Amino acid sequence: MRNNKKKTRRSTAATAAQRMVLGGLPQEEEEILQSPLQMVISSFVRDKIAMIGVILFTFIFLCCVFLPYFFPIDLYYQDVTQANVAPGFGMLSVPTQLKNNAQDLSVGSSFSVGLDKDGNVYEWGTFPNEKLKNIPSTSETGKLVQISAGLDHIVAVNEDGQVFTWGNDRMGLASIPMELRSGGNDIKQILAGYQISLALTEDGEMYNWGSDYLLSITYPEGVQGNIDKFAASTNIVMALTKDGEVVPLTNKTSAYTNIPEEIQGNVVDLALTDESAAAVTADGTVYAWGNNIKKTLDIPEEIQGQVVSLTGGRYHYTAILQDGTVYSWGDNTHGQADAPSGTTVASVDSGYYANYAITQDGTVVAWGLKGYLMGTDALGRDLFRRILVGGRMTMTVGAIAVIISSFIGIVIGGISGYKGGKVDNLLMRLTEIVSSIPFLPFCIILSSILGNKISETQRIILIMCILGLLSWPGIARLVRGSVLAEREQEFVTAAKALGVRELGIIFRHILPNIITVIIVNATLSFATCMLTESSLSFIGFGVNEPNATWGNMLTGAQNGQVIENYWWRWVFPALMLGICTISINCIGDGLRDAIDPKSKER
Amino acid sequence: MGKGRYLLKRLIYIIFVFFIISILMFAIYKSMPGDPVEIMLGDSKTTMKPDAYQALYDKTRESLGLDEPLPVQYLSWMGNMLTGEFGYSTQYKQEVINIIGAPMANTVILNILTMFVVFIIAVPLGILTAVRKNGVFDKTVQVLTIVGYSIPTFIIALLAIFLLAVKIPIFPISGVRSAGSTATGLAAALDMLRHMVLPVLVMSVSGIGGITRYVRAAMIDVLRMDYIKTARAKGLREKTVIYIHAFRNALIPVVTITTWWIIGLFGGSIVIESVFLWPGLGKMLIDGLMQRDFAVVLTMQMFYVVLSLAGNVIMDIAYTLVDPRVRLEN
Repeated sequence: MRNNKKKTRRSTAATAAQRMVLGGLPQEEEEILQSPLQMVISSFVRDKIAMIGVILFTFIFLCCVFLPYFFPIDLYYQDVTQANVAPGFGMLSVPTQLKNNAQDLSVGSSFSVGLDKDGNVYEWGTFPNEKLKNIPSTSETGKLVQISAGLDHIVAVNEDGQVFTWGNDRMGLASIPMELRSGGNDIKQILAGYQISLALTEDGEMYNWGSDYLLSITYPEGVQGNIDKFAASTNIVMALTKDGEVVPLTNKTSAYTNIPEEIQGNVVDLALTDESAAAVTADGTVYAWGNNIKKTLDIPEEIQGQVVSLTGGRYHYTAILQDGTVYSWGDNTHGQADAPSGTTVASVDSGYYANYAITQDGTVVAWGLKGYLMGTDALGRDLFRRILVGGRMTMTVGAIAVIISSFIGIVIGGISGYKGGKVDNLLMRLTEIVSSIPFLPFCIILSSILGNKISETQRIILIMCILGLLSWPGIARLVRGSVLAEREQEFVTAAKALGVRELGIIFRHILPNIITVIIVNATLSFATCMLTESSLSFIGFGVNEPNATWGNMLTGAQNGQVIENYWWRWVFPALMLGICTISINCIGDGLRDAIDPKSKER
Repeated sequence: MGKGRYLLKRLIYIIFVFFIISILMFAIYKSMPGDPVEIMLGDSKTTMKPDAYQALYDKTRESLGLDEPLPVQYLSWMGNMLTGEFGYSTQYKQEVINIIGAPMANTVILNILTMFVVFIIAVPLGILTAVRKNGVFDKTVQVLTIVGYSIPTFIIALLAIFLLAVKIPIFPISGVRSAGSTATGLAAALDMLRHMVLPVLVMSVSGIGGITRYVRAAMIDVLRMDYIKTARAKGLREKTVIYIHAFRNALIPVVTITTWWIIGLFGGSIVIESVFLWPGLGKMLIDGLMQRDFAVVLTMQMFYVVLSLAGNVIMDIAYTLVDPRVRLEN
């Protein structure tokens, strides 16, 4: 009962206050009058700059909130082969001249090469190295018949068995063995890999040149001269002997060398990915071994017993079945396991994140990674996806920091302004002390000393708290000033006279009247908090890798070389951050103008 | 109350604030990772016998005063800080006091030059936009200033490097003097100036954005006042009205914001110094944190605190200079 009574009292005070503000206006005229809020909204909507800001910010905000569900990201994912790929979607755009006339196709790291039936070379995609474009002329090479693309170099062989290479020429990639350079051998298979080139003759003799630092190739006794096929990944080279046995060409034992015994002597094809190896036996069954992080070992049951040949990309396999259809499985982040159904193919080349198939009627079909909207960074991570989650992180940190600082600011400013006297003096001195603390240096030192002992998530929370706890003085001063002005108004006197408790007067009666000022200030300090967070992350004392924020995405772009050569690595995050803070500031300015007609005259 | 007494009162208050912040600093100092005794004893822990080490440990601990109660420790630490004994830098193998001279000079030069550039541009621009309020020029400047203070300085830095050091290589990307330069005197000064162009430019952009807007807002408020109308009615020249009557009154709010901006400028130059590899205090602070050289870190922190408080004192003095009414307050 008592509670009820109080409620009615309060609402009487509110209506009384309302009556006082609106004055003794006749009731009928109220409809044509605009309420203060309507006035604010309509004048805000008329402000073109502010509206553009609202639209831009809402767009970026919605993108960052919803798009990560459609473009999921593994924060710990890295791939050196995809490092610093320029933005573009041309990786699978097979030239039209090649489409119906293809002899051989090969997938490179972020580019592809193709040979038509006349021996002409075609290259497309994003080139990691300008030297890749120096294709040797036909007069020099004669008619090329096989081609292979690697990380940043290409190996090709002509009718006479002469081997050519272009692209990256460091680490011995240009020093083709003499026997291969002069020709005369029947080359069965060539492969350009990660900083290495490999070739196999019809006699079963294998050659390798380039850097074998990662692979440490050794040929077990009796294998040379008996090799039928080979496969290579960035970790290992494996050979299939003419007796149908799988032999790892290394001394090191690893998950790849753990070959199932029962298949030895019965293998017809071999393929490697970066985490596993797979072999096809004569009865068309696929056996796979290795690690299974990206699901490459989950061989679909329905293809067992029908597989003829197998190729592998970085984290996926593609198989050709007896009836000529293709089937892919494994990692499908870039659609590399979405093999077209219903086409019958003659041959397939898989590599990295893409596949090319030449169908039985001679046309080229491609599936897999088309390219990156905003390119990739130094660790091969897709910038677009990182910008989305980075934006979410930057905005979350900024928003929570603002909520913390606004809350403290409102409470301290409200009490200080309403109470006055000693309390006011004390709280204002406290405000001054906090605002005298040098902001950025303190954030840096606190985050680095406290942040050492805690997990990354706790560290992010810590940064929100530091930002919030150090940036409330501005809001507190503003609220205090507004409360000082409001508390002399008649409706406050009325509320006091009606016996409303002090806290009730502050937060129920005065606060709604100054809420607009608080909103404007919160908007502007949201932009400031985002700026501070990104500055902190930029110099390495905010949110750390692998978590993305727009600030720490720019950390890697601090040297002239990156700024010049890999423009996409800094332009996109910088653009996003810039657009966001500019729009928020425009919105804040627009709101202030809309709320305070006096400032509009300015 | 006279100006002198007002200033004295503020000074006492600021000393009080310094005391409070120094307690905070002491708390940071105590919470720094690593046992100072172990750091001082170095590798003798592994070479000495456990009992002997323990004895040495206790002795060192006593000599460092670490067994005293916290308030006593605080007082002696504060005493050291105030007399310039900032401790021993593990990174430079020297007393901190001996190594902060050059970085301090670098930072101060950089910031003073930035302030100079900002005021030369922002104040006239603010006055001009206020006088031609709502014109095309004003609107354009308004938009540009929003952009200027909204974009983080490090993005402006990247842009500036891209345009003025990479695409059109007129200015050096980083550092304080050309590698291998043996120039002295004027040539050395010019070389340093050339290296300063980009950092100063970048730091000025956001400053110009903010200060221009404040000057403009303050000027517009003042230009509406009755005494401006009076001045115009007296037939004074428009220039006199604006620069003598209006601007002097507009200075009062500008002084407040300028002080905060200058303090923020020194803090913000940490980012710029790390982008341009400018060997100043900010870079020293970051390097110190990276190398876990906490004596340096704490000294840098102390510098920023003192600077911030000095800013407050200067603001008070400036108030009494620009606003004669100040002495009537309080």
